[in-house]
Amino acid sequence: MAIRAIYPPGARHEAAEICLKCGVCCNVAHSCHVVYDLRFNPRYTFVYDCLASEKGASNPNIWLCVSCHKCEETCPYDVSPINFIEALKAEALSGGFVHPTIRAEVAQIVSTGFAFPITGATERQRQGLNLNPLSSQAVADLGRIAEKTGLATRLKEEQP
Amino acid sequence: MRFAIFLGCFIPVRLPHIEAVARRVLPQLGVDLTDIEGFSCCPEPVGFLTDRITGLAVAARNLSLAEEAGLDIITLCNGCTYTLRQANQTLKRDTALREKVNGVLAETGHRFRGTIEVRHFAQVLHEQVGLEKIHSVVKKPLSGLKVACHPGCHILSPPETMGFDDPLNPVVLDFMVSALGAEPVDWDRKTTCCGWTLTNYGDKESANRLLGAKLDAMHAAKADCSAVICPQCFYQFDTGQMLAARELKLEYRVPTLYYLQLLALAMGRGLDEAGVRQHRVKDPALEEKLGRLTA
Repeated sequence: MAIRAIYPPGARHEAAEICLKCGVCCNVAHSCHVVYDLRFNPRYTFVYDCLASEKGASNPNIWLCVSCHKCEETCPYDVSPINFIEALKAEALSGGFVHPTIRAEVAQIVSTGFAFPITGATERQRQGLNLNPLSSQAVADLGRIAEKTGLATRLKEEQP
Repeated sequence: MRFAIFLGCFIPVRLPHIEAVARRVLPQLGVDLTDIEGFSCCPEPVGFLTDRITGLAVAARNLSLAEEAGLDIITLCNGCTYTLRQANQTLKRDTALREKVNGVLAETGHRFRGTIEVRHFAQVLHEQVGLEKIHSVVKKPLSGLKVACHPGCHILSPPETMGFDDPLNPVVLDFMVSALGAEPVDWDRKTTCCGWTLTNYGDKESANRLLGAKLDAMHAAKADCSAVICPQCFYQFDTGQMLAARELKLEYRVPTLYYLQLLALAMGRGLDEAGVRQHRVKDPALEEKLGRLTA
């Protein structure tokens, strides 16, 4: 029996139509399920989370995808599993099922220009290596970009 | 040849000793570096999956700063290379999207024109400097040093964007290590992910298992150390290994070196100058071996 693709409203997973569930994506170079986690591999994540579930994006297992692209390199049908998983991650972000690290990181980038906090230890280490202090020159421009695209508003709304 | 150096976040914030090494050794190979005021995070792509225009605008702003200086970008990070090359390629090809992104970018007084290229330092060293030139600056060949080369995922894939080596059978880093007189080992699991992303967004236990499998394979191949060209991979193999050692019950350690550190050592710089003593994973046997080779 053919598996019918169920698309969440507004989502686009056209490539799902050509996935034959052959499993080649899961069997390359000790890829996903063999090595690190039985809960996730591209094939099962497709079938259960992408094709057969209307709430795939709320499954925390999608965050186990490391975006290594190995599945994309080996897929014989150009399905590019990573595109599904990134689409699910995007749905998750829109739907509020987000790993807290990601939300914090976006706010951090917009407010400082860097993805990681700059601590006193960082500055001391840089000074010891005769490296210039880190610049915050980008912050004004990033603020303007975030205002223009609406990201700044969303970040304010999402503040706990 | 001169490039705008794009440091990204990870190296200047968490691994500044690698920035220091890069600034010392690259000019000695004829790769001159210009600092551009105002570069930001590339940006890290996952957080911008739902906000593609913002992500592209941030990347386009970085690209436009280098364009204004008339310089191609050189990076020290697989992730930055991946993000900036993808944005550069997409915006050069898709004129409608470029105009949309430039509409946002206009707020900052910059404009993406599509006039430069983005290259990882490994691409520059392999393709523009050349292995012969690298070999010619070696004063202290790293003879007998066995190295497990781990190029990382995002310098290899997707190949149509990255244009570097074979994603399923990468060999370029091995050639670059050989040019220093060291011996790249053949090891299993060379192409699997280091696990950094899992540590960050996924599940630390899974990340540790992935890391442990890779370290076991390096150890089985009798590697003295691994060589990396990406700060995330470096962090995972260094700090990550230190943190996971107890859970993994590791009875050995496989220290890691960023390729430019190996290059610095082979060029006659000492362990301190190459930043090796800043690492979390210490192996007296490796330090003794490197000390002897570079004496």
